[in-house]
Amino acid sequence: MSVNRWVLEKSNCLPLFGKGLIDGVVFSMSFIRLSFKLKEVFFVNKFIRVNMETLEVTVGTVPEKYAGLGGRALTSNFVNDEVKPTCHPLGKNNKVIIAPGLLSGTTAPNSGRLSVGAKSPLTGTIKESNTGGSSSQMLAKMGIKALVIEGMPKEDKFYIIKVTMDGVTIDEAPSQILGGCGNYEAIKVLNEKYGNHVGMALTGPAGEYRLPSANISFKDPDGNIRSAGRGGLGAVLGSKKVKGIVIDSTGASSVPIADPEKFKAASKVFAKALLDHPVAGQGLAAYGTDVLVNILNEAGGLPANNFTAGRIDHNDNISGETMNATITERGGEGKVSHGCHKGCIIRCSQWYPDKQGKYITSGFEYETIWGLGADGGIKDLDIIAYIDRAMDDVGVDSIETAVAVATAMDGGLIPWGDGEAVLKIVQEMAKPTPLARIIASGTSVVGKVCGLFRVPVVKDQGIPAYDPRSVKGIGLTYATTTMGADHTAGYCISGNILKVGADIDPLKKEGQVEYARAMQIGTAAIDSSGMCLFVYFGIADNPGGYQALIDMINAQYGLELTADDLDTLGKAVLKVEKDFNTRAGFTNHHDRLPEFMEYEPLPPHNEVWNFTPEEIDEVWNF
Amino acid sequence: MTDEKKQLEIRGFLQLDAFLKKKYGTMPVFYEIDGPITGIELAKELGIKREDIEVIFVNGFVQEVNYTLNPGDRMAFLPPGCPGPYRIALGFYGKNQDNAANFKIQRKDSK
Repeated sequence: MSVNRWVLEKSNCLPLFGKGLIDGVVFSMSFIRLSFKLKEVFFVNKFIRVNMETLEVTVGTVPEKYAGLGGRALTSNFVNDEVKPTCHPLGKNNKVIIAPGLLSGTTAPNSGRLSVGAKSPLTGTIKESNTGGSSSQMLAKMGIKALVIEGMPKEDKFYIIKVTMDGVTIDEAPSQILGGCGNYEAIKVLNEKYGNHVGMALTGPAGEYRLPSANISFKDPDGNIRSAGRGGLGAVLGSKKVKGIVIDSTGASSVPIADPEKFKAASKVFAKALLDHPVAGQGLAAYGTDVLVNILNEAGGLPANNFTAGRIDHNDNISGETMNATITERGGEGKVSHGCHKGCIIRCSQWYPDKQGKYITSGFEYETIWGLGADGGIKDLDIIAYIDRAMDDVGVDSIETAVAVATAMDGGLIPWGDGEAVLKIVQEMAKPTPLARIIASGTSVVGKVCGLFRVPVVKDQGIPAYDPRSVKGIGLTYATTTMGADHTAGYCISGNILKVGADIDPLKKEGQVEYARAMQIGTAAIDSSGMCLFVYFGIADNPGGYQALIDMINAQYGLELTADDLDTLGKAVLKVEKDFNTRAGFTNHHDRLPEFMEYEPLPPHNEVWNFTPEEIDEVWNF
Repeated sequence: MTDEKKQLEIRGFLQLDAFLKKKYGTMPVFYEIDGPITGIELAKELGIKREDIEVIFVNGFVQEVNYTLNPGDRMAFLPPGCPGPYRIALGFYGKNQDNAANFKIQRKDSK
């Protein structure tokens, strides 16, 4: 059966495709309203709603209030506007919104990131989960600003939503990819059905079972897997019985640029700022994010053995330097450097091969390796790679799962350092067995099941890879971000951060509130642009790089935004998210780190978390 | 027989990991010194290029490259290339305000 129902919104009678002249369009960013003229451009602002209860698709133009928004700014505003904050995340009132960023689909380097928003079943907060892959650029080129999935089917069937230039269809999902089929196989099956060229978002087995750590898996340009990992949004998609979204951009044109020459010039400056920087141009490309194992270990901030130590002795087994040497030595399908989307020039990903040179996994990130290797004590990088692949295959967040695993080890559910046992449990998430369900339910649930007080979560999301007792600025971000503990919530440059940064000592309080605030504001803005957060390196140390980023947005949309405007955007996004959380029942009392960090000193520096509630709350004073 | 009290425990990260492993066959390297020595002086003795050091770690703390090391210290050389906001959070910027070499944006065609 194929359902293909189109309902064009009568109020939006402008052509969805075709050339037009738009004069004096109001460009609203909720925080700022700018008028501008776009001449001779394609009108490409489709806002698609898929109602899974009626199986109807509505294609309209972007509501005016969202017209100038992209990525996280769009998903968070939409969720705050349309999702009942007190709804059950797996019930019919939750909605999933998928949105490319402002620069997605253009030739801007590293602009292929995609935002997915909904209320999180893991945290109960608003959630924006961000991914690479092919889908963002495809959607943007198709003129699709957002794809919303709402409602729940009455029948117990899973569906595939197919998005093309001709419309949106809802097909029943092929039976062979249901009931435990891994994502790698599902991609093969769907490639055969729809073509290798399509983009894809998948609900893995964990999402089908609506487990709180379930991610949404996105096909990358090589047919491998990238993830909108954090917050359990795969469970939300699974609750709506969406097994997959297939995106076929055949026939799509390029993204309209108001001032192509200015855009080209700014893009060139931006690319140079990235490539010339030693982090983006050399460090990440050679060693990936796993280069941080040795660095955090040396700083005494590498959480180990379920956050009871800040340093390990087997760091050399799992470091980025060892990964680089291993990939180089094994050869075969291994690649030291690889991009997660077209146009990525940083290329921090890699293909990690087995001893015979056969591909095991890609996007083998520091946080995953830390969680299993340091926090869980698994000393073999190969077995960690197989677990990483298995997590991608069943579709669970590798950070949440790794933190949950280490907590389960502390609770006696799994032997410390037993990689084979962990691999088996992760593979069993496809069935899932009771133990697999518990681990895939996240760190907070595991802590309760095991009767532990040492449960490293904020707002029920597992704390990643940087111990707040030794890296206090990160701790403030974990405590106060709207997302639950999330290192990527405070990742990017904003305004005068370098002046703040110059005064920071990782173990002292001075400057940390300003750091955490500025980083979260900057990150919210970058998350809205469609840019990878790793562009941070090219814009933190190079003022010209930051200006080039702004110039690209201005050139694309015919605007005259300034750095202050981006800061204003970032602040507005955070406040919208905070508003949702407040209406969902969250208060500043939820903006706290787990209590054990206040009285368990972390070796080797033997520091505790010592910020007062009043000091923590100051992060939100803007 | 070596005197551990006279030794530095040395690590190198990023490309310096392979460099030190190749040169000394092990990681960490235990290196005997007679007395205090700065990070720059040590780097020279080990054959590490100045431009390959952004900061050094000494006993778990980030320090500027000319920080004085003492026998018994655990130290590490970190080249430019540490990703993330951790260069701020761990104090790199604070230790390098007067160190032009560390934040120089090298042009690829100038190498």
